[in-house]
Amino acid sequence: MMFYIHKAACISPQQTFGDIDIEQLHLSVDNKLYAIEPKYPHFNGNALRRMSKSTRMGSGAALPLLADEAKPDGIIIGTQVSGMEENGKFLNQIIEYNEDMLTPGSFVQGTPNTISSQIALINNNKNYNLTHVHRGLAFENAVIDAAMLINENPGHTYLLGGVDEISANNYTLDTLGGWFKKEACQNDELYNSTTNGSLSGEGATMFTVSGSKTGALAKLTAITTIHSTDTVIVRERIKSFISQNLPNGEKIDLLLSGENGDARTLPFYLACETLLDNQVPVARFKHMCGEYPTASSFALWLASNFLGNGLNVPQHMLKKQGDFNGVKNILIYNTHKMGQHSCVLVSLVE
Amino acid sequence: METAELKEKLKVQIIQFLNLTDLTPADIKDDEPLFGDGLGLDSIDSLELIVLLKREYGINIQDPKEGRKVLVDVNTMAEYIKANGQK
Repeated sequence: MMFYIHKAACISPQQTFGDIDIEQLHLSVDNKLYAIEPKYPHFNGNALRRMSKSTRMGSGAALPLLADEAKPDGIIIGTQVSGMEENGKFLNQIIEYNEDMLTPGSFVQGTPNTISSQIALINNNKNYNLTHVHRGLAFENAVIDAAMLINENPGHTYLLGGVDEISANNYTLDTLGGWFKKEACQNDELYNSTTNGSLSGEGATMFTVSGSKTGALAKLTAITTIHSTDTVIVRERIKSFISQNLPNGEKIDLLLSGENGDARTLPFYLACETLLDNQVPVARFKHMCGEYPTASSFALWLASNFLGNGLNVPQHMLKKQGDFNGVKNILIYNTHKMGQHSCVLVSLVE
Repeated sequence: METAELKEKLKVQIIQFLNLTDLTPADIKDDEPLFGDGLGLDSIDSLELIVLLKREYGINIQDPKEGRKVLVDVNTMAEYIKANGQK
């Protein structure tokens, strides 16, 4: 056992915050899936207008989890780009004003650790505070960090999150790099696309996690990260992961696949699917949240809610209907830009 | 530049520099206090406004007492720019 997930909150391009409704698919705009942001009534005006979007979303998703809890023993965030839009503004100011008369706002909001710092300030929390920025495995490394801390301190509770935002510069660069589609594509047609690239997305997902089983939504049983561009190696690693971590006599009951409409990454997802029995349902989530480095945190939010909150898997997610009797173990497989892969096994709390 | 035109330009710049995205220039009155009960700006905003005056009008405010007299409302800022602006 690694840890138990007790609470989960998510601000995403779908209706995942407040009154949750994932049956109705919110559509992409210009190949991007922008997060549906709440009004953030808990932030005062001055604080809100100085926050980058990622800080706003991250803090906004964290606040409901912190409202009724004692202060967490640590805040652990995974983000690749964080406030990249503000970072870009600051870098442009350096050039425009010849390194003179720079103001702190964009600099402060453009650094990755602003999210965990802002949450700590709101929560008056002086405990462990760390931000992982390992590109497409940033969230996974935050999960591993939390798991190691809980292993040492089973009674501790941690706030764990994954956050990234769409930034204009990164979108342009990644589109030029072929990671986002150059032709118009809407998210409800994403998986019919046969070209390279996906749709750009963003979101903030927060969890409270601990070693305590009582009242937990789900159990994060195991996680692994894989660095390879070889489908054979990745398939073997996923196979080992499943055999090593699935309890005897149990099976994967649902695969949450990070398939993203990119022709280049499809072989990895198909390789994963072929490891499972034919009757195992396969659900995809990237048409809901888009592609971003910490999108696996959105999948973990889905898995936690499927297992612990009675949330149903909507039809638009299903690639393969399979046999849906009693979901107990969910496998999340995701790859970011093909070189970074992760497997997460999430289980029912019994 | 006429004073009225300068005030309008200044309001646009204040909104842009301070990221007051929920306001339009028409929402800011010429004599509305920038700090406290008016626009509700704070000390970080005063730094941004001083940088605005330097970048856009070549005005260098170094004496905090002088800054307090200038950064009262749009009228006082516009008057100061008219008298001291270098650009």
